[in-house]
Amino acid sequence: MILLAKIGVGVLGTAMVAGAALSSQGFIAVKVHEKRPDGTHLSLIVPAALVPASLHFVPKNDLKDAASELRPYLPIIDVAIPALEDCPDGVLVEVKDPQEHVFIQKVGGSVVIDVDDHGDIVHVSVPLRAAQSSIHQIAEANETM
Amino acid sequence: MFADGLPIARRIRPGVGRAIPRPGTQFEFLSKDVTMKIFKSLLLTAVVVAGTVVWAASPERYLHIKVNNPKTQELVRVNVPLSLAEKVIPAINHGDLKNGKFHVSNFNVQDIDIRALLEAVKSAPEGEFVSVQNPGEEVHVAKEHGQLVAHVNDKGGKQRVDVTIPWEVAQALISETTDNQLNLSAAVKALQSIGDMTLVTVAGEDESVRIWIDSNNSDK
Repeated sequence: MILLAKIGVGVLGTAMVAGAALSSQGFIAVKVHEKRPDGTHLSLIVPAALVPASLHFVPKNDLKDAASELRPYLPIIDVAIPALEDCPDGVLVEVKDPQEHVFIQKVGGSVVIDVDDHGDIVHVSVPLRAAQSSIHQIAEANETM
Repeated sequence: MFADGLPIARRIRPGVGRAIPRPGTQFEFLSKDVTMKIFKSLLLTAVVVAGTVVWAASPERYLHIKVNNPKTQELVRVNVPLSLAEKVIPAINHGDLKNGKFHVSNFNVQDIDIRALLEAVKSAPEGEFVSVQNPGEEVHVAKEHGQLVAHVNDKGGKQRVDVTIPWEVAQALISETTDNQLNLSAAVKALQSIGDMTLVTVAGEDESVRIWIDSNNSDK
């Protein structure tokens, strides 16, 4: 009985530590709502810490183009993201016309992008810190090639 | 010794090692020097904490850009925290923008050296410097209340442009530059210290543009 309890505590503890590690960088939220009658409704919440880990499994060759495009902007990204993290929350950009409404804002440690156009409603929330580490990983993917 | 004359050793419980003061005599064993030191430490801590709170509470400054076209119902709003711009601009090394300085390929617009003009205006008294009036266009450039002000009224294009550049910002723009440069980084830094104000307004037949500075995180 005591052994079972010890195993239970171990499993619970491991699960809690794993949960804490996964949620340490926040969550990426993606919601897509297609306005047509048979349209897709997608709602996805993924721990941001999973993204850099998942990128390890993406073939480096597939990241080649993105890496070469991102690399020149890394110094700017490295300055901009921490600076943005330090900024108070607020709307950064809003573009509105009769067909489309785009809204980019900073909420907590995340950048939130909302797009509402004639076809879809899209909501994306990305933790800034996770974005920075993922961008680095993509940019460095083909550095040695 | 305590005020009542008992030695300290008599007031310490064995094994506990702590003096047990009688009610009303708690701080009497502290000398004046120690009391002053504690008071000074508390005062210093209070000043540091208050300073930190004031520094932390200093509001973020924003550069707002609003482009509005009522005819097409188009609206663009951009709110840039100045602290963000101040850090990001020097990091950009692309095209004509390098190390926070913008390289203007032909700064001497129509044989007018803007840099030299700004230097001259700096020492000149307040007043109107340029006034051009022709049937299609009116241009006025003046120094008013320490600010460089320009009004352009394009009658043909039915457009009116008003630009107000605080003197500190104008000076910052040409600081630490060579002939064909504008120091954007220094200008953004200078913008942090000016009060709430409108920098640019463009009122056209179809579209209006406003660029201004304040401490609100939205343009409402």
